[in-house]
Amino acid sequence: MRRAGWLALGALAVAAPWLIAAGVPRQQRYVLHVLIFTALFAALALSYDLVVGHVGSLSLAHPAFFGIGAYTAGILATSARWPFVADVPAAGLAAAVVAALVGVPLFRLAEHAFAVGTLGLALVASVVANNWVEVTRGPLCITGIPKPRLGPLSVTTLPAQYWLALAALAGVVLLYRGLTTFRLGRAFHAVRDNEPLAGAAGIDPLKYRLLAFTIAAGLAGGIGALYVHYLSVMCPEEMTVGLTVNLLVIVFLGGVGSLRGVLVGAVLFTTLPEVLRVAPTWRLVIYGALLLLVVVRSPGGLEGLLRRPRVR
Amino acid sequence: MALLEVRGLVKRFLGVTAVDQVDLSVEPGELVSLIGPNGSGKTTLFNCVTGYLAADGGRVLFRGRELTNAPPHRVARLGVARTFQQVSVFPRLSALDNLLVFLQQHQEERLLARLLRTPRVRRLESEAVARARRLLELVGLAAKADAAAGSLSYGQRKLLAFAGALMPDPDLLLLDEPAAAVNPTMINEMKAHILALHRQGKTVVLVEHNMDVVMDISQRVVVLDHGQKIAEGPPSAIRRDPRVIEAYFGR
Repeated sequence: MRRAGWLALGALAVAAPWLIAAGVPRQQRYVLHVLIFTALFAALALSYDLVVGHVGSLSLAHPAFFGIGAYTAGILATSARWPFVADVPAAGLAAAVVAALVGVPLFRLAEHAFAVGTLGLALVASVVANNWVEVTRGPLCITGIPKPRLGPLSVTTLPAQYWLALAALAGVVLLYRGLTTFRLGRAFHAVRDNEPLAGAAGIDPLKYRLLAFTIAAGLAGGIGALYVHYLSVMCPEEMTVGLTVNLLVIVFLGGVGSLRGVLVGAVLFTTLPEVLRVAPTWRLVIYGALLLLVVVRSPGGLEGLLRRPRVR
Repeated sequence: MALLEVRGLVKRFLGVTAVDQVDLSVEPGELVSLIGPNGSGKTTLFNCVTGYLAADGGRVLFRGRELTNAPPHRVARLGVARTFQQVSVFPRLSALDNLLVFLQQHQEERLLARLLRTPRVRRLESEAVARARRLLELVGLAAKADAAAGSLSYGQRKLLAFAGALMPDPDLLLLDEPAAAVNPTMINEMKAHILALHRQGKTVVLVEHNMDVVMDISQRVVVLDHGQKIAEGPPSAIRRDPRVIEAYFGR
């Protein structure tokens, strides 16, 4: 039953371009654009949740890793003319290496200090993007990033780019599932729930925290690469702290530590501001009010509302 | 050779010497109790042995291997299990998962094998589940296997933490006040569990305030006061030792 539900959802997501073409032909481009953003944001939020939800470290540095990946891919694809299939993994690797290096000192900091430290990293990364003009072109942005090419296949049409984003999301979902269940998930959750006891159970908390942090950063870097190949530009504004706020909203109002919750959060909080464009004046007011409503009615996020009471 | 050898251990907190040149030697199969008034350094000694506190002096040897200031997870993997005075479980994991956590890190496997769930990892997992279910049965929590540990009662959590320490079949078990703050029935149950372990040949060191439990089951009692070892011997001798009586009741 549950598996059937996921399959149906997957089929619906894959068929979306045709459904949109049939349903709202005049808005097709716009709706697909929102869906691509939704898929990429969902993947990014899931990678973020690996750290925030599963090892319980409130990192605010995710935009930095997203940005490192985005710039790595953008620069390699334009200046060095790297092919898409090579610059995406390179982007993920670059972000992961930076995460592994900064993670060692950052995880020496206790909870709140860790959050502040990662915020510092995000701010520094943003300043570097703006000011290291020789490499990032600063506010002039990296432009002319080519559309993705998978071997002979050029991903240029909007539906094709949507399917690429969807495939990336599916990959992240599978990895997320693999990491957060069974033995790895148990070790992550042990560190999150009770660090001293995790030590007594033979778990090295630092190792597992670093593992989650590094994998999450690598994924964020890869998603950043996909993002710039889709937009064909990368500007410093894409990696500001505002991105952290969006991710926090998605993860915490969706359902921290829950695949379903984060996906629901990503869909809702990426499409909602768009849907609300029907009431331009009140758009952000309504959005803010809805956020408040969720926080008040279901502090555990939307996931808490979806969950049926378990029968024992 | 002693299983656990503590030599001249020193731990200071801001000028207060919490553990002062303590020697402790535990032979394989022994059941030793560590007693002393509040603040005498018993738990601090445990924390230094298991890597939760860095000692300021002295050495800890386990099976002759240097263990001084090794991190907790290394101490655990070498075969030293411990419980905590404050009941300590993973509240959001199920009771079953709480036990599984304690075994899986002892089983050598690569991260990738873990992620891909190779047949070998799956087999180890099902063996671990079988062992966890037996231990849940032993401590009377079989019916609670799927309940979140945080939803269990205080006593149940205490039993769960105890079962967790047993999961990897440790060579040395350090129990910090297993009989504290539980009802008399459960105290007897704990006593029975500890004695059963002792009969199986396990080595147990106990920190305990409940004198009935200590005098009843220990082979040897070590008394600490103000961080120093003031007496050591069989329960019958400790009971009459004037230094011990003085430490507990004053002159």
